[in-house]
Amino acid sequence: MPRLGDLERAVMEALWSADVPLTAKEIVAALGDRGQRAESSSDAAADRGGDGALAVTTVLTVLSRLERKGVVRRQRAGRAHTYRATASREDHVAELMREALGAAPDRDAALARFVSAASPDEADALRRALRALTRRPARGGPS
Amino acid sequence: MLGFALVLLWPTPRLLGSARWPPLSPVPALMLWQAIGLATGLAAVGAGAVYALGALGDSLPHALLAWWRNPSAVRNLSAGRWVALVGSALLAGYLLAVAAATTARTLRTRRRHRQLLDLAAGPLSASAAPRYGRVLDSAIAMAYCLPGLRPRLVVTSGALNTLSEPELGAVLLHERAHLSQRHDLVVLPFVAWSAALPFLPGTREARVAVALLIEMLADDVARTQVGAEPLTGALHHLGAAVAPDAALGGPGANLSGPGPAPGSVGDHALALRLLRLAAPPPPARALGWLAAAVAIALVAAPTAMLLA
Repeated sequence: MPRLGDLERAVMEALWSADVPLTAKEIVAALGDRGQRAESSSDAAADRGGDGALAVTTVLTVLSRLERKGVVRRQRAGRAHTYRATASREDHVAELMREALGAAPDRDAALARFVSAASPDEADALRRALRALTRRPARGGPS
Repeated sequence: MLGFALVLLWPTPRLLGSARWPPLSPVPALMLWQAIGLATGLAAVGAGAVYALGALGDSLPHALLAWWRNPSAVRNLSAGRWVALVGSALLAGYLLAVAAATTARTLRTRRRHRQLLDLAAGPLSASAAPRYGRVLDSAIAMAYCLPGLRPRLVVTSGALNTLSEPELGAVLLHERAHLSQRHDLVVLPFVAWSAALPFLPGTREARVAVALLIEMLADDVARTQVGAEPLTGALHHLGAAVAPDAALGGPGANLSGPGPAPGSVGDHALALRLLRLAAPPPPARALGWLAAAVAIALVAAPTAMLLA
């Protein structure tokens, strides 16, 4: 059986590609189309229906986990439940980058480029300048 | 002993913060910062306890023993000593509570980030990439690591496009050094410290200094294995191979801190790192041993005062 993490990712892929709410059965079909039949372990066979697709119950389990993580929302559409992603993949990527960038403010690379191209004389001058800088760390305003 | 704590709280961090030798010996410098933090806590809490319980015995362990044997003896303490006792207990409780809360918040944020990352990012398949490597689809060139028991190492597709193979290798080595040396554990107490006492300038000084020192340690690992050039090139492209990330409590672990404009201190730190990579200073062994000795003395002093 594919690992749970891979299944979660696959379900999200299906939801992101479709861009409309899907029922669990539609998700199973979408996953089946992606060649999930490649699995051959006996565990996998038990999880699959006769046509080789993942069992709906497996997908439902995955969906409820994703719901708890807040990336999937369930709605009632008639008698069936539909599922949709709470945000696009791009939105999530942006959120992740924002969080990581919170620890790394946008740096001005100009100084960095100058350092790499410096000749020994320029490096010496820069060293002296930096020595003066380290006496009084820059406060306020980009350097 | 209170005087000892006060000296540690204010002038010492500023002294160490503006010293120029730490980049020469990052590990002893880190020890010194840790010693300052620990000694300050011991002294601040201990001062009150020693004064308060002084009436019960001539050393703190004796006094505590006497208190245990005769709990009601505490009632005979003067008002001043009572205040000191309660104050000490409150301070100790507060510091421990903030430490616990910071740890919990860190773990929560980190877990959330990791879950989202596993869903939205693909696997990293570059050479020498660990199995916990991930690629985020973004034009911005960036690399960072998510520390913890289930670490992640993240590179953006923009970084993969911008960096050469050796440069990417150097970045991976740098980030893996953060993870294998558990720099997140080194930084965490300082984040908690400055969360508990944000009005003290020394705590912010410590946090910023420690963040830079661990970057230098990770730089050293990369330089030892592949030389300085690949990492220097990568830093130019990336602007930063990032420290253990925001998951360590928001602005806690970054180089710019919550105060000054982002980029001001960060540029300074980056320039220092690049200079250090370009012209690695000779190891200052004697200085290192001296710093380590001072660190041990700093912690031993209040401990001795508490026990004697």
